[in-house]
Amino acid sequence: MSAGYQAVLWNRQKKRYDLTILAGILLYIGLFVGLGAALRPEATPETLIIRAFGTLALLMLHVILSVGPLARLDRRFLPLLYNRRHLGVSMFLCALVHGAFSMIQFHALGDVNPLVSLLAGNPQYASISAFPFQTLGFVALGILFLMAATSHDFWLANLSAPVWKALHMLVYVAYLLLVLHVALGILQTERNLVLIGLLVGGFGWIVTLHLVAGFREKPGDAPHRGDVIDGYLHACAVADIKDKRARIVCISGERVAIFRNGDTISAVSNACQHQNGPLGEGRIVDGCITCPWHGYQYEPETGASPPPFTEKIPTFNVRVVSGEVYVDPEPNPAGQRAEPAPIRGSS
Amino acid sequence: MSHNDDEFYVGYLPEAPAGIAAHVKRSILLILLLAAGVAGALAALQSPFDPGAFEFGIDRTFEGVLLEHPYPLLVVDDGEYPGSHLLVAFGKFGAESLTAGHDGKRVRITGSRIWNDQEQMIEVHELEPLGDARQSLAGGMELGTFSFTGEIVDSKCHLGVMKPGRGKPHKACAILCIRGGVPPVLRVESESGELSYLFLVDEQGNAVNDRVLEMIAEPVEIHGEVERRGDVLTLRADPASYKLL
Ligand code: HEM
Ligand code: FES
Repeated sequence: MSAGYQAVLWNRQKKRYDLTILAGILLYIGLFVGLGAALRPEATPETLIIRAFGTLALLMLHVILSVGPLARLDRRFLPLLYNRRHLGVSMFLCALVHGAFSMIQFHALGDVNPLVSLLAGNPQYASISAFPFQTLGFVALGILFLMAATSHDFWLANLSAPVWKALHMLVYVAYLLLVLHVALGILQTERNLVLIGLLVGGFGWIVTLHLVAGFREKPGDAPHRGDVIDGYLHACAVADIKDKRARIVCISGERVAIFRNGDTISAVSNACQHQNGPLGEGRIVDGCITCPWHGYQYEPETGASPPPFTEKIPTFNVRVVSGEVYVDPEPNPAGQRAEPAPIRGSS
Repeated sequence: MSHNDDEFYVGYLPEAPAGIAAHVKRSILLILLLAAGVAGALAALQSPFDPGAFEFGIDRTFEGVLLEHPYPLLVVDDGEYPGSHLLVAFGKFGAESLTAGHDGKRVRITGSRIWNDQEQMIEVHELEPLGDARQSLAGGMELGTFSFTGEIVDSKCHLGVMKPGRGKPHKACAILCIRGGVPPVLRVESESGELSYLFLVDEQGNAVNDRVLEMIAEPVEIHGEVERRGDVLTLRADPASYKLL
């Protein structure tokens, strides 16, 4: 899907998502600023804006971090994963409003450059209660910027998938920095029980969700042990695989997706070339294996994306003997044709 | 989780399968409700801010006698806002460079008011001398020696420019302001929550700005002599004797 980087196409669904994000942002900011101004008429508008956008950005980050593990636990969350990029960019923009307003309000119009004031104005880096928490927010904002700026598939292709993936794993670093930004910042002065509760509860939710999702994943990782015929490993029974679907089996350390396509069986590497999505949880749609995450497609027998796309994944040779599927543990080079095995072939 | 496992979502197809679409709609609604609850709770439960206001963008004219030391002060004898007004400049700066050479003289100042229920201040935009005659003002009145516990804040932000104008969120800003010449003041809160303000001077009665930078926005205890000048209280003590608590 690299041709034209058109993996994520615009359609009615996508527009509805974007409108929902916008409505959510307006709802949150409107409620926070409106209620804040009504109940605390002595507050300045700047403070309400800083607080509304800061807390909103952190809340959005929680949603963004939850979508991955939720989609692994329940596939019905996959649409949120598919549409996560715009939520990420919107979150960055909200964080930017918060950071920019804070920077102007607290660090501009002084005797040094605002950035110098932000990083060095309060030099008590060795203290906990006096720690310059703004620096933590600043670094986090930098990470969020990098991620928003490279979120397009153009960058995924140009940075190479491992670099891109590593870059985007930094979101967890940003999240930790932000938890500290709040704990060492506002919470040092304002012991707001709701804010403390949300911060601790949010952190607990994110950690638990990731642990549970990771735990569920584990069993599939166990190496598969079965009979061997001519160097081919027994993988599963044909009857275990529903039509147009796959079973994921771990063979010589790699996950293999074994698909049933009508009357034949084909096996490919389980990892999607886009972002390592689990192809074995996908379907065969219009004759192509379709990734459950963002819909990249591959032909079952060659592992190649249909033209004009150029992605390729390794294939595996398969045989069916007496209704049982056997897989050659040696993968073929990406894109190399492997003859599909007829399910009523040899017996 | 029981749901129709046959449905498969492909993002670029025009419509999502019905079961998945319904689930996503429910989830989004839940997230929006949660967001509204968080927004409402966080907005409503912010601690009250200290009183104070800043007439940003509104210029008024004041006439009175200017005192340069220890912190520039304008003593206004009549008009709408009589009494002592501390003077500061635009941004995070004190007014020394604007008031230099006018000690004891009558001046007309144009600027914006900053005030709370205790103190008055002017952000000076223009200063015009009104004749050279020096005027003498009654000297300070000694009120005795006391210990106070409070927080050093910059008087400009604290009296009304910023909410909150104190505490951790405001610490870096207060450091900038006080280094820039804004008078440092000890904010003392009584047990009943009443606020009073003591402007900090050293034993010789001079400004202490550069010597308190490390103690800003932290709880401190200061033991010193209290003096009243005009409507303003000063606390005279060697900054080296301030105790961080
Ligand atoms: C240049 C970067 C940043 C600066 C200078 C900055 C500065 C500040 C300041 C001064 C406060 C205290 C404000 C107050 O309540 O009086 C604050 C609080 C907060 N910040 Fe940041 N921040 C930055 C980045 C971020 C980012 C990237 C996020 C989240 C995505 C964030 C989230 C928050 C939250 C949730 C609070 C607590 C609520 C509040 O008090 O506003 N900040 N930040
Ligand atoms: S389509 Fe993105 S991971 Fe497969």
